[in-house]
Amino acid sequence: MLLKLAWRNLWRNRTRTWLSALVIAIGLVAMIFMDTMMVGMNTNMVKNATDSLMGHAQMHALGFRDEQDVKLTINDLDQALLQLEKHPDLKARSLRIVTQSMLSSSGGGEPVLSLGVDPEEEQLLSKFDEAIIEGEYLDSVSGQKLILGWKLAEKLELGLGDRLVLTAADAESGEMVQELFRLSGIFKTGEEKMDASMVLVARKTLQSMLKLEGRIHQIALRYSKLTQDGTPVNPLKKPDDSSKNELLLWTELMPSLYMISQMTDLSMAIMGTILFLIIALGITNTLLMGLYERMFEFGVIKSIGTTPWQAARIMLFEAVCLGFVSIIVGLILALFVTALFANYGIDYTGIEFSGVTFQEKIYPSYKWSRLVLYPFMSLGFTLLASLYPAFKLWKMLPVEALRKRKF
Amino acid sequence: MEETVIVAHKIFKAFGEGETEIQALRNVDLDIKRGDFAAIVGPSGSGKTTLLNILCGLDNVSSGEIKVSGRSLQEMSGSELAQFRREHIGLVFQAYNLIPVLTVLENIEYVMLLQHVPAAERKERVHTFLAELGLEGKENRFPAELSGGQQQRVAIARAMVSKPDIILADEPTANLDSETGGQLLEMMRKFNEELKMTFVFSTHDPQIMERAKRLITLTDGRIVSDELK
Ligand SMILES: Nc1ncnc2c1ncn2[C@@H]1O[C@H](COP(=O)(O)OP(=O)(O)OP(=O)(O)O)[C@@H](O)[C@H]1O
Ligand SMILES: [Mg+2]
Repeated sequence: MLLKLAWRNLWRNRTRTWLSALVIAIGLVAMIFMDTMMVGMNTNMVKNATDSLMGHAQMHALGFRDEQDVKLTINDLDQALLQLEKHPDLKARSLRIVTQSMLSSSGGGEPVLSLGVDPEEEQLLSKFDEAIIEGEYLDSVSGQKLILGWKLAEKLELGLGDRLVLTAADAESGEMVQELFRLSGIFKTGEEKMDASMVLVARKTLQSMLKLEGRIHQIALRYSKLTQDGTPVNPLKKPDDSSKNELLLWTELMPSLYMISQMTDLSMAIMGTILFLIIALGITNTLLMGLYERMFEFGVIKSIGTTPWQAARIMLFEAVCLGFVSIIVGLILALFVTALFANYGIDYTGIEFSGVTFQEKIYPSYKWSRLVLYPFMSLGFTLLASLYPAFKLWKMLPVEALRKRKF
Repeated sequence: MEETVIVAHKIFKAFGEGETEIQALRNVDLDIKRGDFAAIVGPSGSGKTTLLNILCGLDNVSSGEIKVSGRSLQEMSGSELAQFRREHIGLVFQAYNLIPVLTVLENIEYVMLLQHVPAAERKERVHTFLAELGLEGKENRFPAELSGGQQQRVAIARAMVSKPDIILADEPTANLDSETGGQLLEMMRKFNEELKMTFVFSTHDPQIMERAKRLITLTDGRIVSDELK
């Protein structure tokens, strides 16, 4: 009965109700839309980061990441590879030699990070093959070909076919060793670090140069099944300490990137609260207006035996009804707006953000939990908005309310 | 033996404080017996509304004591008073008694719903009163679609269906023309005779006063006469 009364009261002033509902609905749409864009942006950033070199996870010998010591290769490689082979979700892996070295040409020298890779394996982990702008990608696991980024090429004034010398410390004696390479390709990944200070060469060549035959510094992994956050659904079990190896997910390898996605969650929560609070104040105002207009009526309702709490409930029910109407309107609008942007995307390509460059358009992406959370949030805030009017109604003395009407 | 429904003893009621204090009721003693059909009359500002409000616990007294159906009103909380009125007192105001968004049927049912009267009995009681009041066929109309007289009759039906001990009506006919007002009063009188329902109402209208069985006259907040006819 009280609910029926509230529902009918709500539709007494249709314009006002629709306007209030629209305000709440637009708030809801804004939240859902911003959220889907944020999720889309995060997905995009994570994808860029994990697709370009890092992979979804990497294995190293313990200590290698900190010390970059050329001697610290993965322990018991055969056993480690066996483990990897057994995992059903592993899509690709690349075994890499990673070493700090000096690249010199006739035009001068530059410190670089050298990667020794199997070009075929590496193709599945990073996009150097697609990023070649001049010459060609590596074609063999051995040989003297070398590719590097366009910025480095520019700095050293290099052209295809130029002779280059890599100098690095070997793993046995730590003495400097040198190897002659020929520039066969120049890439442009869009990522500063890679384009300015990274070279790729054949893995076997680098292994023998550094006296690391059969040994590996880094295994980069790609999983086939990922959650919406971009983390693997079934990550590999971490090796125990006795293996002296470590296996880290991208969230641990690049904590700042992971932090951003966590931070956006927090900032969305704060923004949402502020937005809904403002809306709630507006709704409170509207409900109060409705209360004052119907003062006499509520006086009658209370005089004929409606208890204060029952009267207050009429107001709360009104708010709940308003909330539900708003949510339905809001969800329809939100689906429409995000569907629109999902078709066209938003073009941020080429803009760098915390070390990652957007390479693709951003498409809004849903997190289903949010599609439930935000409507509940708007319902909650609408209810919150009705607390004060409901309290007024609860406290209101019927005699005073009855006096409000002059006949 | 005559049963007393309301006992008011040494009622004082003041509004405001200090220089602006208004003594709306001064030393009012009043007994209402079951079956009374009493009119409270007096000039404007004499305290009729104030007295009726106090008799049903809508307003509180400055001093004095009121018992309705044996219960002292002063001791009750807001929620207890509401429930007490729901069970024991029917109220009719001058106008706009009905909840505009509810139909005639729903308006009459409202109090019974709060009282948790079973559906079958609700229906029966509603239809009895609609027939008595000549409002058959109007149960699904909204108040705005009724004439003022019809609205007041629905208000009386609403007050009656909950089977209260007494009905208090503040100028129930003031917004009606004298003919409709007369009819409304006839109806109340009929319920008084046939169902022994106790009525106390205030009025300005001499024609209405004539039909009362008891006339209580207020002047400046005092009862100056109380006569049975
Ligand atoms: N809330 C209030 N605050 C101050 N004074 C009030 C209040 N209510 C009533 N009064 C005063 O109390 C006195 C009695 O008022 P009351 O409304 O009971 O008179 P009444 O007999 O019902 O008059 P009317 O015939 O005009 O309805 C009047 O002087 C009025 O001004
Ligand atoms: Mg009055």
